Amino acid sequence: MNANAPHIARRDPAQVMTLRRLGSLHQCRLSFMRILTRRMANEAWSFSRPLFEIDASGVGQAVYTATGPSRSYSLVAFAHDLPDELRSDRVIAEAWDATFALFDGIPTQDDIDRLSQNVPLQEAGRVSENELSLSRANRSVRLWTHVVDALAAGRQPDQRMIDNVGYLMRTTAVYGSGKFGAADREDIADRPEMHAPFQAEMLSVYLTRTFVRDLVQHMARAKGGDRSADLDPAIARRLGIGNSTGLGMAPFIVNHPVLFNNWIMAREEAISRVRSLRSATPEAKSTFLEKLARSEISVARWTSEHPVQIDKLADLHRDLGDLRTYVDQGHLDGPDPWDRLFTWAEGALCEEGQELVASLILEPYSEIVDGLANCMADSNTDAFRIDGSMRVAEVRDLIETSFGWALGTDWQSRRNCARAWYVSAEKLEPRLGERFDEPIADYEQPLAPARDAARAFEALSGWDDNVPIAGFLLKHPEHRHTIRRAQISRIAPYGEIRDNTIAEDVMPIDMLRAKLSFFGATHFDPRSDRWVRICMYAGAPYPEELVPENADDWVYPELPA
Amino acid sequence: MSLSLNEVEATAKRAARGAGYPWGLAEEAAKATRWLCAHDFDGCAALAGLLQKVDGTDVANWSPVPGGGVWNAADGALCPLATGTAISDRAHEGAANCIRLGGIAHPILLAPFAALLAQQVGQTVTLELPGAKLSTDGDEIGLNGTISEASPWASVGFGGTVGRPKQRCHRAQPDPCAWTTLATYAHRTYAPATEESRLKGAGAGLTDND
Repeated sequence: MNANAPHIARRDPAQVMTLRRLGSLHQCRLSFMRILTRRMANEAWSFSRPLFEIDASGVGQAVYTATGPSRSYSLVAFAHDLPDELRSDRVIAEAWDATFALFDGIPTQDDIDRLSQNVPLQEAGRVSENELSLSRANRSVRLWTHVVDALAAGRQPDQRMIDNVGYLMRTTAVYGSGKFGAADREDIADRPEMHAPFQAEMLSVYLTRTFVRDLVQHMARAKGGDRSADLDPAIARRLGIGNSTGLGMAPFIVNHPVLFNNWIMAREEAISRVRSLRSATPEAKSTFLEKLARSEISVARWTSEHPVQIDKLADLHRDLGDLRTYVDQGHLDGPDPWDRLFTWAEGALCEEGQELVASLILEPYSEIVDGLANCMADSNTDAFRIDGSMRVAEVRDLIETSFGWALGTDWQSRRNCARAWYVSAEKLEPRLGERFDEPIADYEQPLAPARDAARAFEALSGWDDNVPIAGFLLKHPEHRHTIRRAQISRIAPYGEIRDNTIAEDVMPIDMLRAKLSFFGATHFDPRSDRWVRICMYAGAPYPEELVPENADDWVYPELPA
Repeated sequence: MSLSLNEVEATAKRAARGAGYPWGLAEEAAKATRWLCAHDFDGCAALAGLLQKVDGTDVANWSPVPGGGVWNAADGALCPLATGTAISDRAHEGAANCIRLGGIAHPILLAPFAALLAQQVGQTVTLELPGAKLSTDGDEIGLNGTISEASPWASVGFGGTVGRPKQRCHRAQPDPCAWTTLATYAHRTYAPATEESRLKGAGAGLTDND
């Protein structure tokens, strides 16, 4: 192992932070689901189901408890009998097939009673500092019915149908971090098991998947009685939890530049470390080739009806063929194998393919990659504070570094500012509208950092290079948020998207994909330019199966025996 | 009502924006309100009171004109957010300076900025008002006396001791009326729903019920 500092630099933010590339990211060793399952297996967490009271119509409540070295966390689940016409994943929905809270500890009956009055209401209810997340899920009607009917009749469900849908239920919003009264992120961030981002939310979804498997079995037994079959564990393993993700995630990555930077930078650092290795052991090459083969299966199963994703998948299929040819020619055998592979990929493959290669080369190297998970949280509270002593010239330089590409853009031109981000009064959800066709400009959210940077840069034009920025800020408080971001970019070079987030042709799904790839999602299936469906935990061991040997590579489908 | 501090911060930011502050100052308002709540002050009541005064006026008129002996607003009382940010932004101007302020609205909202100043210079900062003294080392804060909703003068200087620090809180229990006021201002930042926005804005696309 090369213990020296990497000699291959991290990639330039200007290359990494375009929407096209962010919209092509893939999961990797640093994905939040994998961080969680690795930890739970390595620490030998125990799991129990202290409550499962669901009637024959599928209505009732259940509790699933996960216990680590220091603490327990419990998913409190409420199952409902939802008429088909009320089923919608959109945030404007008001009822769901199942609703959940992740309780911090082991709930008492009083806690469950309190939650039963609030959790089913979701945004219209309140939770407390004892809860870490609030979420809901809807059935995939076609697969749910098929699985219940098949098991009730004593048969296993059809594997093709399972693979076509991929999940029995899909979650929509998983609210954490203080939303609707839940505990703040700051209250749990110091716990080792909650330090990496979104671990409470990932745990909630992991336990939700187990609940869903148990619920479908319960419903099949209620229907078929003694005739009913037990779901084959191999089929159950293939089932993930779907997720429909809308625009809420796009503002998140703009509003948390330090946090987003830390995710990207951790992955870029991992890539640079692996590219810097002078040679690869036979074991490392073998691990890479195995994960490549399993990725080929995963990509073959990935389908989408969205024209953009259909094209990207066609490119990715071609890329995988080229990659297979490249490695079969023995190119991993020489010196600097990973850097040569990476450099080849940058010239030969599209962004989807390049980013898949970037994630795959990390697979053999847990010892130099996995520790970077500790760097992915944002604990830098000082970043918010503006340094008023910074000279105007330095602020200008910072703006030019992140947004030099945007300073020559005609921001008056309709196509460059056709869109505006706003929050709807109806459901307090972020939306993206047409600035010139809808009455939304007055409600615009500050989610166009590039345009705002260009404006601030112009306002700075008459200012002496050597004066402190404090004077400018007092005169121009309307640029304060932009100056703050510019200063944050010193510690967060990957914090700014290097693209126009209000352009006529912006694809918000690129922003969603970037975030979801860090969750560890696969099989991105855009359903419009603004929301995307994914699958989480497909292939993952269930709690009773989880051991270190299967805790990490479950995201790659098994090779045929 | 027990609120998370993130709820306080999110609502305070939207409320300040709804009352007319630019986004950058709205962000400061949000952090300041959260900081006060985390130090056992009703930050929400202070911000709600301020927004009620500022609403409908030109925010710029409440900004300080630094320099000279005493900072005053162009017209009437100082805004503690604009004043507080200006004080924190000038942390580099020297530890010996004592900043004298003229009439100021809701001066408790200066306290979080005094803490920012203390963090930057590594010294205790004392905010003095008629009948009250607040001292902060940037982390803890101690209060002697009572702070009123408006003050004819204030001063911010280095030195003093925190004394018995205020209790730290990880939840907020704001005055319900103040919270409602903030929610009302925040609501102004939300675009009224239209059928078009409902269909297009959230991006309906393909069916989600399958």
